[in-house]
Amino acid sequence: MRFLRITTLFALLASSASFVKADVAEGEKLFNANCTSCHALNEKVVGPALKGINEKYDEAWLIKWIKNSQALVKSGDEKAVKVYNENNQSVMTSFENLSDAQIKSILEYIKTPPVAQASVAPSNGAGDATTEAVAPAKDSIYNNTTFIALSIMAFILFLIVFVLYRIKKTVQGIYDAKFPEQAALELEPVVDVRTTWKYKLFTKHPVVGTILVILGFTVALGIYGFNYGQTEVGVQQGYAPAQPINYSHELHAGKYKINCLYCHNGADKGKQATIPSASTCMNCHMHVTASAKYDGQVSPEIAKIYDAVGWDAEKKAYNPSKQQKPIKWVRIHNLPDLAYFNHAQHVKAGKVECQSCHGAIETMKVVYQQSSLQMGWCINCHREAKVDVKNNDYYEKLHEDLKAQGKSYATVSNVGGLECGKCHY
Amino acid sequence: MENKNKYWKGLEELNNDPKFLQNKRNEFAEGIPLEEVLTDKDGEMTSNRRDFLKYFGFGISAVALAACNKTPVKNVIPYIVKPDNITPGIPNWYASTNPTTGVSLLVKTREGRPVKIEGNPDSPIFKGGVGAVDHASVLELYDNERLQSPKAEANEVDWNTLDGKITKGLSAAKGIRIISGAVNSPSTKKAIAEFSVKYPQTKHIVYEPVSYSAIIEANGQSFGKAVIPGYQFDKAKTIVSFGADFLGTWISPVEFTKQWVKNRKVGTTNNGAKTMSRHYQFESNLSLTGSNADVRVPLKPSATSVALISLYNKVASLAGAAKLSSPGDVEFAVNMIENSAKELWANRGASIVVCGTNNVADQLIVNAINSVLGNIGTTVDLDNYSNQTGGNDAAFETFVNELNSGAADAVIFFNSNPAYNYYAADKLISGIKKATISISTNSVADETTALCKFHAPDNHFLESWGDVESRVGFIGLMQPTISPVFNTRQASESFLRWSGNFTDYYTFVKNNWTAALGGEAGWNKALHDGYTSSMKTPVAYTTSVLPQDAVNAAYKAYTSNKDKVELSLYTKVGLGDGRYANNPWLQEMPDPVSKVCWDNYAAIGKVTADKLNLKDGDVITIKTKTGVIEKIPVLVQPGQARDTISIALGYGRKAGGRVGANVGKNAYSAVSFNGKTFVYTAADVSVEKTGNGYELPQTQTHHTIEGRDIIREASLGEFVKDPKAGNHKHAHIITLWDEHDSKGHRWAMAVDLNSCTGCGSCVVSCNAENNVPVVGRQEILNSREMHWMRIDRYYSFKDEKGNKLTREAGLAGNMLKGKDEGLINDETDFENVRVAFQPLMCQHCGHAPCETVCPVLATVHSSEGLNHMAYNRCVGTRYCANNCPYKVRRFNWFKYRENDQFDFYMNNDLGRMVINPDVTVRSRGVMEKCSFCIQRIQAGKLQAKLENRKVKDGDVKTACQQSCPADAIIFGDVNDKNSEIAKLFNNERSYVLLEEYNVQPSVSYMTKIRNVDEELAGGHTTHSTTAPGHAGHEEAKHDTAAHANAEHAH
Repeated sequence: MRFLRITTLFALLASSASFVKADVAEGEKLFNANCTSCHALNEKVVGPALKGINEKYDEAWLIKWIKNSQALVKSGDEKAVKVYNENNQSVMTSFENLSDAQIKSILEYIKTPPVAQASVAPSNGAGDATTEAVAPAKDSIYNNTTFIALSIMAFILFLIVFVLYRIKKTVQGIYDAKFPEQAALELEPVVDVRTTWKYKLFTKHPVVGTILVILGFTVALGIYGFNYGQTEVGVQQGYAPAQPINYSHELHAGKYKINCLYCHNGADKGKQATIPSASTCMNCHMHVTASAKYDGQVSPEIAKIYDAVGWDAEKKAYNPSKQQKPIKWVRIHNLPDLAYFNHAQHVKAGKVECQSCHGAIETMKVVYQQSSLQMGWCINCHREAKVDVKNNDYYEKLHEDLKAQGKSYATVSNVGGLECGKCHY
Repeated sequence: MENKNKYWKGLEELNNDPKFLQNKRNEFAEGIPLEEVLTDKDGEMTSNRRDFLKYFGFGISAVALAACNKTPVKNVIPYIVKPDNITPGIPNWYASTNPTTGVSLLVKTREGRPVKIEGNPDSPIFKGGVGAVDHASVLELYDNERLQSPKAEANEVDWNTLDGKITKGLSAAKGIRIISGAVNSPSTKKAIAEFSVKYPQTKHIVYEPVSYSAIIEANGQSFGKAVIPGYQFDKAKTIVSFGADFLGTWISPVEFTKQWVKNRKVGTTNNGAKTMSRHYQFESNLSLTGSNADVRVPLKPSATSVALISLYNKVASLAGAAKLSSPGDVEFAVNMIENSAKELWANRGASIVVCGTNNVADQLIVNAINSVLGNIGTTVDLDNYSNQTGGNDAAFETFVNELNSGAADAVIFFNSNPAYNYYAADKLISGIKKATISISTNSVADETTALCKFHAPDNHFLESWGDVESRVGFIGLMQPTISPVFNTRQASESFLRWSGNFTDYYTFVKNNWTAALGGEAGWNKALHDGYTSSMKTPVAYTTSVLPQDAVNAAYKAYTSNKDKVELSLYTKVGLGDGRYANNPWLQEMPDPVSKVCWDNYAAIGKVTADKLNLKDGDVITIKTKTGVIEKIPVLVQPGQARDTISIALGYGRKAGGRVGANVGKNAYSAVSFNGKTFVYTAADVSVEKTGNGYELPQTQTHHTIEGRDIIREASLGEFVKDPKAGNHKHAHIITLWDEHDSKGHRWAMAVDLNSCTGCGSCVVSCNAENNVPVVGRQEILNSREMHWMRIDRYYSFKDEKGNKLTREAGLAGNMLKGKDEGLINDETDFENVRVAFQPLMCQHCGHAPCETVCPVLATVHSSEGLNHMAYNRCVGTRYCANNCPYKVRRFNWFKYRENDQFDFYMNNDLGRMVINPDVTVRSRGVMEKCSFCIQRIQAGKLQAKLENRKVKDGDVKTACQQSCPADAIIFGDVNDKNSEIAKLFNNERSYVLLEEYNVQPSVSYMTKIRNVDEELAGGHTTHSTTAPGHAGHEEAKHDTAAHANAEHAH
């Protein structure tokens, strides 16, 4: 009971603490969602740096400006016209959907950005490469630390068993020495040696014994070898290699909710989902430099994109004299060449969510291979997944047949999805 | 009437040759050479238990060590800036044109590299047809022996240095000669013209090793138009060809096949048509065209002129035109000349006579015949003439003399290799060495290029811009589908640079056409379509030119060479004049008729071979008056005219690539020059036997069907009376298996034996599409070719009544009994064989015998009627191949892609670029076979699903179907009732092979129909010595006229 009371207390404390900071946190969220494509706190991006605006302009004016800057400019507001001209008359997007309270919280965030968060900010994607890049995923066979820890524990356990065994033996020896009659008595029921299984096995039929022992070893080694071999033939479940750029899907797909197909734009068109070209990154990162978190410097991870495409961050222009260097991403999902897999078939025709195979990608800071990609895994899904026969004219005839049979659906296996030649040719 | 003919694939089958019988029994000719591995030289088994344990132990430790490797890290490297129109995994298609053949193409590229060539179905001339050589051209792009940079005096230099040296040298030269193959590009012609303005001492000489000089010369004399006409076989009801292999190699075979086959389709394949053109072929060697002719007359080369004169006189007398006065009547093939003359006249204006000799007098007579028949302007088109080939033999002879005398001291070889293919190569070579400046733009270090001081290597056409005027008014455009692989430059651009024009070639070509095509939009449209056409309606021409002065000489040549052995030279469908010799796909494509690959040979008829005491595998040396062909193997070839030997040109290359080097023997040395043109025949040759036991890699009796009844045919007359003629036999069927229910798709194929010419285009197309490895000469000898589809060629004796040799007699092993009973007559029967072609691929049986015997279920049936093959499941027992009645399964004996023993293209990185990424490259030890292009089926279905619609007929085309210039292969979903295949899969002519097995194949064949009824009624195509009875002859005449008139009325 006391325990419960204490936890409740802690919970209350925690929530009240977070309540105090709600303004800034909400502001940060809104700021990241709405403002970062054009603004940063400490540097000029498309629009001017925002640090210090709270002192420069009054809050009411700022709210008006943010809601509809053009209206303010047209009304002839002196400050507004000045700002407009100072920024090459580029029009700021109107945010009439934001409430006054929301804008206030954004302004609160601009005034007091949470400094501590900004410098570590692993959740903000462009984190430190050394801490994040090799972060192992759960269940990974590549997870050496766990493996070593387990080995040490196993060794210790073995040692304990060994010591206990020795102690037992020693104690028995002492006991026997002290009470020899007792020991003899206890030995009495010892039966004929020839009837023990050990004798039968190893002395009478040495061949059988040897075979059994070898068999035991073989099975043990085989199990180990099978598991090891699986990784060797390409079963790499949990594989989470370090990538050349410490790109976080959690940030882009999770926090900013960028559609998967925006970057992986082949997924609904053809065989390959495609890794986006560096120019796709530049659509946003031409402006988004995350410099707020790096004391006005471009994030070192984003700088890698700039390096690849030959972008001059100072001049905000491509530098033709810089050599372009392709980014060598490490491929995580490696299907063997003998299996044909087509993304469009699954994503568009089959309407399968990306997450069904790739896992909760929007939570992965470092992407790892969620599924085993073994044939059994494919087959299981093909047995269960239903084909949307209703909404695709391709299946018109099948749909009619099913209706006639009184069935409401067909699985992939019903339409031949388990046949060898569907994937192997 | 039931067709009882015995069909045979080769003389060894007919004669029950012991070696053939043995091969037949052992389908996999060789077992695993275990003993070789385990024995020492003396043949004693030296291996024992200890060795076994050693190997075993080593094996285990090796495996254990190998397992220590970490899985390699694979990178995935995206574009930096992705081109808008490229999505990895999705092919892009570009329209282009093959400048060598002029054929309109579509080029499939994957991730920026061309992997497959197909026909452009919109092209008004080629209509989607593609030849084997067009398919194979993509492989030349990835030849790692192409010249990789410009060279000056054997040193690699940059282009500016080279240009500097060349322009300096050219300015100082007295006489510059450009030696090129036929130039069919207006822009290249313009570039050469600019070059000639800058260097007025230039002469451009068109040299084609297989020359059409005589046709050009004769048309100049007859009609005042020195051109190669366009021919329209589609407008001809009667076709007479004298040695012109127009379906195989002559001028524009793809175009002609499309035209020719139009009048050959009957029944359901052609809206119920009941007429066919009739095709007469007079020739020495059994060509592809001859084997498809209705009436084929074997003819000695020296008799061609006489036969033409005789035909002219017969036509002229029917027309009442002036005759040639000849010293006597024809003594041979009299009936067929008579028949063809009558039919030609009956179909005047809708008939055609062509001749393949390079003799001006012959061509003048052909012009006269066509003129009398009123064919010029209908089937012979002098206005929209052809630029596909050419030749100016006399000018080239002059050039060789000038080079030696020093009058010409600078020479540029552009797409031309005379040091290999000129008959007096030594003279030319010494001339080139005398030249102060010699330049080659050839893209490989061939025989000529090796002699030249400067190498300015040309791009491959898939890396180039250009225009190709195949026929006047029809411009095919060429666009690059890949950046140049090596540091090469388009030859036309080189000419511009050397003449001081620094426009890049793209702009140059574009400027040439933009105005004519109505601006930028017009240019872009033409580029997109791949062609622009403004062909005129042809005008009629007549001629009264008759080569009277050549008549006596022709008769003299004919009479004086009687009974003497003559030599005729021809080109093969695959290798052409030798320019494709370095292409392994073409080397491995079996010759359509002889089924020999990787070699040329002296084809000799059976009677002549007996007379000269020669047999298969003997090696002979042939001496003509001007040249010698050393040590060439003999092939006894049915259909070969008596007293003739035929040898293919294009073999015996010495340089230009490892694949073609030293394959076969060079026969160009037997070419001669008659003062006007090159002559490809030689009279009175001497033959000397120099060896024996040479094995030719010949696939004709591999995968034998054991004489079972798989060809069905009928004559046109029988077909008209009864559309099911020749196709009545049906097997009594019992079955062990349950029927499959086929509700979704059911893929099936129909093959029209009447349309198939056997050209082999599908075989090469299949190689390219399905990554079929090239195995080379030795493996073909071991019966281990990997081709997924083969074209079986069957011979039969000419008698539909079955009097000659019946299937039953053949099956009983009494092949020669017919001979004993006087039914087979060596004198004529082996010369007058009939030929049938049958493409054979996996039949995708409903109750497949292969499936039931596979112990690991690697080959299984699909719900769509396909027979799947899962390579990674296969353990290589080969039971399936043993159980396949059609013998279409192939076993991978080697890991061809990594084994340097198979040094063709798959073992190097550049060559592997051609591999189709959608098809698995098979490993050693697994079975493979035709998959019905399942990758295309899957892609077609997916496209339909993505577009929310059903699969349309024509969405899925197999590689063989797409490429067939004769449209003989039809593929589709038989469950789609409106599809073409649903109509053709089961019609009056359809039958499935070996129906009695009830394996329910998904491929049906349609009977072959021959337009031979008059011949049956009594006419014979025999030699005069075995002329038939008079009564039959009269009857034949009567029938011919009646039939011809009836046909004319249609």
